[in-house]
Amino acid sequence: MEPPAIRIQDLTRVYSARKGFLFNEVVRTEALRGVNLEVRRGEIFGLLGPNGAGKTTLTKILATLLLPTSGRAEVLGLDVAKEAYRIRPRIGLVLGGERGLYNRVSGRENLRYFADLYGIELAGRDRRIDDMLQLVGLSDAADRRVEEYSRGMKQKLHLARGLLHDPEILFLDEPTIGLDPKSARETRKFVRSLVAGGVTIFLTSHYMFEAEELCQRIAVLTRGRIVATDTVAALRGLVGGDRTIELEGHDFEDAELDRLRRLPGVSRLLTEEFGPLERITLRVRGLEVDLPRVRSSLPGRPQIEIRERRTSLEDIYLDLVEEEAL
Amino acid sequence: MANASGTRLRALSASTRLAFLSFLADPQWVIPSTIAPVVFGFAAFELYRYAGPVLVLEAVLGAAMMSMWGQTLYGSGWATGQDRELGTLEPTLTTPTPYLWVVSGRVIVNAITGLVGGVLVYLVVAAAYRRPLPVEQPLTFAVLFIFVLLTLASVGVVLAAVYVYTRYAGFIQNFGEFAFYIGTGCMFPVILLPFWTNPIALLLPPTWALDALRYATLPGYVGFSWGLYWDIAGAVATTLIYIGIAGTIFRRVEQHVLESGNLGDY
Ligand SMILES: Nc1ncnc2c1ncn2[C@@H]1O[C@H](COP(=O)(O)OP(=O)(O)OP(=O)(O)O)[C@@H](O)[C@H]1O
Ligand SMILES: [Mg+2]
Repeated sequence: MEPPAIRIQDLTRVYSARKGFLFNEVVRTEALRGVNLEVRRGEIFGLLGPNGAGKTTLTKILATLLLPTSGRAEVLGLDVAKEAYRIRPRIGLVLGGERGLYNRVSGRENLRYFADLYGIELAGRDRRIDDMLQLVGLSDAADRRVEEYSRGMKQKLHLARGLLHDPEILFLDEPTIGLDPKSARETRKFVRSLVAGGVTIFLTSHYMFEAEELCQRIAVLTRGRIVATDTVAALRGLVGGDRTIELEGHDFEDAELDRLRRLPGVSRLLTEEFGPLERITLRVRGLEVDLPRVRSSLPGRPQIEIRERRTSLEDIYLDLVEEEAL
Repeated sequence: MANASGTRLRALSASTRLAFLSFLADPQWVIPSTIAPVVFGFAAFELYRYAGPVLVLEAVLGAAMMSMWGQTLYGSGWATGQDRELGTLEPTLTTPTPYLWVVSGRVIVNAITGLVGGVLVYLVVAAAYRRPLPVEQPLTFAVLFIFVLLTLASVGVVLAAVYVYTRYAGFIQNFGEFAFYIGTGCMFPVILLPFWTNPIALLLPPTWALDALRYATLPGYVGFSWGLYWDIAGAVATTLIYIGIAGTIFRRVEQHVLESGNLGDY
C-alpha cells in the first residue's frame, strides 16, 4: 500500500536558545509536545493555531529544515531525520513573506536559479519557468528586479518557486499573511486549483475561515499540542445546537461573571477587551436561557448591549484554543 | 522531475551565474574589486618607486594579494551571510543540492574577480613605473598565481561553513581578517613575523602558496628555508586537506543547524 503523504508520531521539538551578554543563559522552548497526525495523499490539510502554537516549527520539520527532538515524522514514507535528501526533490515549501528571495535579480532569474538547484531537466527548464510565471500571474513582471515587487507579487513568486519542480506535497506556511483581501482571495483560489493536479497540500493558517474554505481536514494546534483533528463537516457538527450570546459593556465585575457562568446551559464564558469596551461571549446549550434571562441576571446594567448569533466554526476554534490555554 | 544526482554541476553553474549577476547589480562590490586594487597599486608605487624594481614588485605582490584575499575569502563568507540576511538559506537548503556546491559557485566568481583585481594592480603599477616589472620565473608565477587563488578559495569555503553555522560568523571574520592578512603573508613575507606565529600560519594553505609565489617572482627572495618546491608541496597538501574537510564540515554544519534551528536567524 502506498504510504500516506505525511505520518507523524509523538513528535516533539525543543528549542534551546542562548541568551545574555555571554550567551550563558539557556532558554528552552517546547514548541511541539507530542504531535500525532496523518495526512492523506491528494488532500488539502489545514493546520490551524494561534501565534506561537508551533505551526512553522512543524512545517519546517516536515520540510527537512529542522530536526525533531523526539518522535518520528515521515513524508511520503521517508523519515525526515534520516532521508532528507530523498524527500527534498519531492516536496515544495513556501514560507512566504518579504524574505527568501534574491532581491537584486529578476523574478525569472530567481526561478532559474532554483530550477537548477532542483536539477530540473535543462531542455524543459525555461518552458517550465514560463509556465509557472503564467500560472501565478507574474509573466509581465518576470524580468523586473524582485526588489521592485509588491508584497503580493513576492508571494506569487514564492508559490511559483515552490511548484517549479512539480512536488508531490506542497507546504504552505500562512500563504495569505500580509496580503490584501483581493490577493488573499486569489491565492486561495490558486491553492484550490492545485489540488486538481493531484498535489497534496499542507497549509497553516490562523484564520478558521481560510481553512474552512480550503481544507478537507483540519487540525488545531495550540501550545505545541493538537487539540482536534477532523473534517470540516465534523467540526461543524461539534457546533451542534450551541448558541452564542454576546454582551458588551464596561468594567464587568467577577461576581457578575460568576452569575453568568452559573446560568443553566452555559458551557463557556469568554472575555475579550476592545479598548475600553469589554465583550463577554457565552456558549449556551439548550433553550432555557434567553436574552431577557441574561439581562435580568445583571441588574443595574440597563445600558448593556446583548445579542445572540449563530455559533461559527471560528467560535469552536477559539474555544479549542482557549481551553488548552486554561 | 527533479533529479538529485545530476544537480551538482548544474548547481555549480547556477550559483556562479547568480553570483555574477548579483555582483553586477551591486555597486558595493564593483568598487572594492576594481577601484581598491588601483588605489593599492598607486600606494605601493609611491612608497617604493625609488627603491628599485624588486621592491616595487614586492609591493605590487602585497597589494595584489590583499585585493585577492578580500575578494576570494571575504566574498565567499559574505555571500553566505547574505543568504542568511535575505532569508534564502532556508529555501536553498530545501533543494536537493548540497550547499557546498552553491558556495563553490560563488567562490569561482570571487576568485575570478580577485584575479582581475590582482592583475589590475600589476598593470597600474607597471604603467606608472613606465617599465615592465620582470618576474623571476614567469611560468611558475602564472601557475602559482592561480594556485594561490585556489588556496584562498579553500579557506573561503571553510569560512562560508562558519556562516551557515551561525549568524555571528561576521564577528569572527572581522576579528580574524586582519590577523589572516598578516599571518599568511599577504601583506609582507611571513618570515618577517615572530617565529611563534609561523606554525599557526602554516595551518593555512595560502601561507605556503604565497611564499612559493614570492620565490617565483622576486629575484633573491629568501622565505621559508625549505625553498620553493617544498612550499608548493605544502600548499598542495594543505589545500587538499581543506577541500577534503570542506565536504565533511558542510555535512556536520548542516546537521547542526537542523538541530539548533537557527537557519532563519539573521
Ligand atoms: N529558532 C527558534 N529558537 C527558539 N525558539 C523558537 C525558534 N523558533 C520558534 N521558537 C519558539 O517556538 C514556539 C513555536 O513557534 P512557531 O514559530 O513554530 O509558531 P507558529 O505557530 O508558527 O506562530 P506564528 O503564528 O506566530 O507564525 C514559539 O514559542 C517560538 O517562540
Ligand atoms: Mg509561523
